[in-house]
Amino acid sequence: MQTKAKILVLIPCYNEEANIVKTVERLRELCPQVDYLVINDCSTDRSAALLKEHGYEYLDLPVNLGIGGGVQCGYVYAVANDYDVTVQMDGDGQHDPAYLMDIVTPVLNGELDMCIGSRFIRHEGFQTSFMRRVGIRFLSGMIFLLCGQRLLDVTSGFRATGRAMTAYFARNYAADYPEPESNLAACLAGFRVGEAPVIMQERQGGVSSISSFKSAYYMIKVSLSLIIDRLSIKKIHYRS
Amino acid sequence: MSDKFQAFMILGALVLLVIIFVLLKHGKMTVKYSLLWLCLSLVLLVFALFPYVVYVLRDLMGVEMPVNLVFMLMFCFVLLVLLSLSIAISQLAEKSKRLTQANAILEKRVRELEKALGTPTDNTPDH
Repeated sequence: MQTKAKILVLIPCYNEEANIVKTVERLRELCPQVDYLVINDCSTDRSAALLKEHGYEYLDLPVNLGIGGGVQCGYVYAVANDYDVTVQMDGDGQHDPAYLMDIVTPVLNGELDMCIGSRFIRHEGFQTSFMRRVGIRFLSGMIFLLCGQRLLDVTSGFRATGRAMTAYFARNYAADYPEPESNLAACLAGFRVGEAPVIMQERQGGVSSISSFKSAYYMIKVSLSLIIDRLSIKKIHYRS
Repeated sequence: MSDKFQAFMILGALVLLVIIFVLLKHGKMTVKYSLLWLCLSLVLLVFALFPYVVYVLRDLMGVEMPVNLVFMLMFCFVLLVLLSLSIAISQLAEKSKRLTQANAILEKRVRELEKALGTPTDNTPDH
């Protein structure tokens, strides 16, 4: 057993004063062996003060980069600090650290380059709203069409990545709504991507970054990005 | 084309050219971004000085009014400039993202170093 593997959990945080302390405390309690790093994306609430007060490990972005740029910053940090596995986990309490090792293990064993924590394998726990499920199904189908890989929970932000995958994301990572796009990019660039069943909670408080108002924009933007990725990454793949 | 209109065209093109040179001289614009604007003003000047060029182009492209051709070409030029600006903005956004990330990682290192050295930080939040 590789017990000495260095694991880093990235927790993006934008105005999560209601959840961030609970999330970090629960992670430290359930997985004391892993390092964590909260990425405060220039929150306008008391998130930064809370992080400092509790003496947590955190990065403080001086300007707001959005979820993509923030998480990518964590990947850059993970590469610089030589972590074996990097996990992305939301700061709103949706993702339960109890399942952390379930998604880390396939990556640690070298079976996968990226393992996505998926709600839709066993259909347990919070399954999100009907409209969102339709949207996720659509994006999942689109990724299947574009790269031939069937991924169910393509918008899941609970993902473990190995060294090579982390380094790839540190170089290229989508900006606005990065999960579906980076999943497709990983598949197209030839990384082994898979899913592990997890149970997710409904967010504990605060507001989601994707409101229903923005969902049409979200779908159009992500669909377009997926197609562009399909066109551009093919070239990178052939070149290497 | 009336003489009056031609005079206006020449004057306009010259003013644009002078503005670009003044901006360049005072360092308000870099040469890289001025090239498109310089092209535009030079072409305008040529059109204004030698309307014959416009008439030839009109016949080549089958446009009724020569002035419409000038407007259309100018519009295309402006589109090009706008496109180049969008490209420049995208590149700047990527660069500032990288800088922000590097800055955040350095800030964490400084914070940890200060803590290890026992130096008091100046930005402790007040409670």
